[in-house]
Amino acid sequence: MTSTDHTQTSGLGFVGQSVKRVEDDRLLRGHGSYVADVTPEGVLHAHFVRSTVAHANIARIDVAAARRAPGVVKVITGAEMKELTNPFPPFMMLPNMYTPLYWALSDDKVRLVGDPVAIIVAESRYLAEDAAQLVEIDYEPLTPVASISDAFNSSKDQLWEKADGNVLFDNTDTFGDIDSVFADADRIVTERFSCQRQSNQPMETRGTVVEVDPESQHLTITNATQSSHALRWIIAALTGKQSTATSLKSFVTNKERRTNLLAGLKAFVDEHSEDLAKADNAGAVSQFKKDKSFPLHLNRISANLAGKTDYPTVVAQDIGGGFGAKGSIAREDIAVAVAAIELGRSVKWIEDRVENLIDGGQAREEDLTVSIALDNDGTFRGLKVDLIMDQGAYPGFPIGAAFITQVMKVMYPGSYKWDAFQVTTKVVCTNKGKYIAYRGPWANETWVRERIIDIAARALRMSPTDLRLKNMIGEADMPTEMITGPTLDVTMSTRKCLERLVYEMDVPAFEAKRAAAAEEGRVLGLGFACFHEAAPGPPNYMDAINPGSGAASDEKARTVVQADGSVKIYTPQMPHGQSHETTYAQIAADELGVNIDDIELIWGNTDKTNFSAIGTGGSRGGPIGGGSVKYGTRELRKLIAAKAADMLEASVDDIEITGGNIHVAGVPSRGLSFAEVAQAKVGESAPGATEAFEATVNYRGKGDGGWSCAAHACVVEVDLDTGLVSIPRYVVVEDCGPIINPAIVDGQVRGGVAQGIGAVLYEGLSYDADANIQTTTYMDYLVPTAMEIPEIDIVHLETLSPGENDFRGVGEGGMIGAPAALTNAIEDALASRGARVTKQYLPPTTILEMAGVIDPDPNSDR
Amino acid sequence: MKNPPFVYHQAHSLSEAIELLATYGEDGKVLAGGQSLLPTMALRLGPPEHVIDISAVPDLDTIGLDADGGVSLGALVRHAEAERSDDVRRLAPLISEAMPHVGHRAIRTRGTVVGSIAHADPAAEMPAVCLATGATMIAASSQGERTIPAAEFFDGYLTTALRPDELLTHVKFPAWSAQSGGAVVEVSRRHGDYALAGLACRVDLSGDAVTDAALAFFGVDSTPVRVPEAEAALVGKPPTAEAFAEAASIVSTTLTPTADIHGSTNYRRHLAGVLTTRGLKTAASRIGVSA
Repeated sequence: MTSTDHTQTSGLGFVGQSVKRVEDDRLLRGHGSYVADVTPEGVLHAHFVRSTVAHANIARIDVAAARRAPGVVKVITGAEMKELTNPFPPFMMLPNMYTPLYWALSDDKVRLVGDPVAIIVAESRYLAEDAAQLVEIDYEPLTPVASISDAFNSSKDQLWEKADGNVLFDNTDTFGDIDSVFADADRIVTERFSCQRQSNQPMETRGTVVEVDPESQHLTITNATQSSHALRWIIAALTGKQSTATSLKSFVTNKERRTNLLAGLKAFVDEHSEDLAKADNAGAVSQFKKDKSFPLHLNRISANLAGKTDYPTVVAQDIGGGFGAKGSIAREDIAVAVAAIELGRSVKWIEDRVENLIDGGQAREEDLTVSIALDNDGTFRGLKVDLIMDQGAYPGFPIGAAFITQVMKVMYPGSYKWDAFQVTTKVVCTNKGKYIAYRGPWANETWVRERIIDIAARALRMSPTDLRLKNMIGEADMPTEMITGPTLDVTMSTRKCLERLVYEMDVPAFEAKRAAAAEEGRVLGLGFACFHEAAPGPPNYMDAINPGSGAASDEKARTVVQADGSVKIYTPQMPHGQSHETTYAQIAADELGVNIDDIELIWGNTDKTNFSAIGTGGSRGGPIGGGSVKYGTRELRKLIAAKAADMLEASVDDIEITGGNIHVAGVPSRGLSFAEVAQAKVGESAPGATEAFEATVNYRGKGDGGWSCAAHACVVEVDLDTGLVSIPRYVVVEDCGPIINPAIVDGQVRGGVAQGIGAVLYEGLSYDADANIQTTTYMDYLVPTAMEIPEIDIVHLETLSPGENDFRGVGEGGMIGAPAALTNAIEDALASRGARVTKQYLPPTTILEMAGVIDPDPNSDR
Repeated sequence: MKNPPFVYHQAHSLSEAIELLATYGEDGKVLAGGQSLLPTMALRLGPPEHVIDISAVPDLDTIGLDADGGVSLGALVRHAEAERSDDVRRLAPLISEAMPHVGHRAIRTRGTVVGSIAHADPAAEMPAVCLATGATMIAASSQGERTIPAAEFFDGYLTTALRPDELLTHVKFPAWSAQSGGAVVEVSRRHGDYALAGLACRVDLSGDAVTDAALAFFGVDSTPVRVPEAEAALVGKPPTAEAFAEAASIVSTTLTPTADIHGSTNYRRHLAGVLTTRGLKTAASRIGVSA
């Protein structure tokens, strides 16, 4: 597939072609604009004073010397912050779950190394860091909770007073008659798996610049966020705390505000009545039982939002990656905004890499005990999973343990048929960084399922791919549904992906290679894994996770032809590496009949874009965001064609647009330009009008499905001298439906696979027994580089489903499949030496221990 | 991650550098390539109050050819310059062997060879090369110049025999014999990382037998270390796979590397043995012997 220019010549349209990335020229020449590039005149710089111990009560904090230090203009402590802000509320509440409330800074207790206890604002970051060293804190140590087993140890101190020990959630869901299925099956294979803590590690860390208008006090916030509107609302909700009575008084007395807000609320409820009717309050009841103060804070937050007339403007431009981390709204985001509000001056904070590794977002630390019940002929009968998730100290917001455990619950069964399924989910808290969404946040469901299937295949002496295919749902079974609820339609094409991959990998040829290598003392292995993922999934997918939450998923693009004929598209998406500028231009250019360079995409500014609760995340950019662009520009074309038909004295049905030339079919030489039509239209409007045509379309997906699927396989060579693993071959067969831009899909798949390889061979956050983090620089947290990542071959299948806008998301799958395929290959390589892979993280020491080359160190906890 | 305040001094001559060290050496650090010093300062890990920049001192950037057939590297010779130097390749080939393993190219462009030796990171390549070649440290202070043999230079983790008022101006590598074969081998988790374990080794041959051997390991202790028992076991024997395996076995049982998050004690001990075999085999091949 070769890259394509930005001018259409073939008549085939841009969608489906590897159009060169619009973003590249700007970004590769260093002309991108990131948060760190924004330095308003007179801006002040923030630095956080962070706890140096993992778990302690704060007996005393003395910031007097810091306040007197050179260049310091403001110090806010945790106690002061509590007076100025509302706490972070639980975002998604589940029955049997308790979500602790917490504030932007900690006041009386610290719960991890790096817990922010004060913010220092100074003339420079250097001076702020100097002042931080003058802050005196007396800690009264509490016992550190450094691991999942510590969390279940009742002799350890409790992180959250209102919890039951350090367990925040314990719940079992059962689908089918699990007990009789397990009693009836020929055999049960059980294994306990553990996955290490990982970190998203975007190239650009988090950061925020809060500018204060000296006249109006309006805030403009430039922030590295995946979700600009959510950030805007949360900052409005949590800052400027006032009593509920004061808020309500302001709301009641401001008629315009009241009318607008109620109208907006009514419109939302009307539009989403079906979804909202499914929601229940069982989770809120659980929360209230644990924390009676919760309704008070929730009321205050709601009243604060209602009473305020001015919400901040959030601006976000280029983002250097996020992988989920920048969908989080952080305590630092609130603290910096509060500092700016208090000072009436602009304040900037750029997270440094040490801060980012300590608490910029962590993920995946889970223990999973999995049992598969199956018959001797290989028929899958039942599946049981017992998950324990270590959510760290503070809940991820808005996406944290609540949401991620529920996606895992729905997805464990994968693309296979089961008679019964049961999952027990426990969430514990420890003195570690916060657990957040990381590319394919539920990915360990695939890892443990595909691992236990390989282990079962070995027990049955069956080929692991035969065993998978024997039990896999195929087109003949459709329509059907997962045992956990969501509908499976033709887009769930895992079977086709795996069948194709088996062909690509040529297992007999590999076995011959393996035997030849063994003659030379070399050790090879081959591993497969496959999955389907919601991209964005059928409507009942969100209901299976959390009934009613589908209400948050729609999106409105606003499309415009300017007075000068140029086309602008305003999207609530927040691109951070996904190439929206290119793919949306491809979609829009095809609808409008213009070239790629005629389209300008505008994003990030909440004053200019429509509300979206999510922004970019959840594999929605292609199908949902792209759909709103498609149908928006289609409406826009109708408006242009109607005006042009008037001008050309032709029927609107005869109007064609090619390469920006609007003409009657067959007579392109007498066409009009967009500028001419736009000028004519603007001439009819009020003077000063800048927009000739405008169309906004709300889009919720095409309604009947949307799964992306893939099968991954890799060949590994394990060096038994050094424990190093190389990957001579890696193949992905993926199916995200019709492809907008193959080169961009390849990039997404390869980037995801690279992170999945990182998860197995390189990336492990490490805490010692006292919960001190040991991986605080890139010398110790190893992100793979181009040198470590092999060639990755990709085969695209493009299964179509009925109807238009059949695109499916593809950003997450690479990361979901890779750890499973790679660990399966490593076990395959070492199986003859009796090795069984139960950990996701396999550094060289672990490889040689598994292979029996070395013994574990005495007293080692590895 | 911004460095704390410090006083910056730029030395324009060797005598000025020595004078500054005499005054500020106790609370000061020498800045040459800055590849280790500056990150340490940004992390505020025991940062110096005075930084004495020697980058403008003339004549320290030269690779000198010594009368005895060896080479001397001045304190401002960058890794990249040593890597490219034909003189170094000819007269001190073990340095050339080590260079590709030092960090990444960008680091080698700024970092200095002598700076790496003075910094004495036990996982770095050059301190071990100094041990394996029997290099001599030349240190200058207001009290004059003194020489320190490599074997007496590395005292502990990031600690050397240099006094606070001394500047390591040159490191002298002795003449390399035509009967010597050398190799630097290491294993790191990623390209360019510090080694999990590494070896700088040398074997001298006369006729069919090893007459001398040096096995200097890095990344296995608080300083680079030689393993005399394994070296002695090689001497007098022909350079065969069996002899190398015996040395490797002695290495594995002698060393007790510290465990960290990247590798256990047993792993590093095993790896040191593997590197012994690999290193000696490569070293022998450099003088045309295949073992």
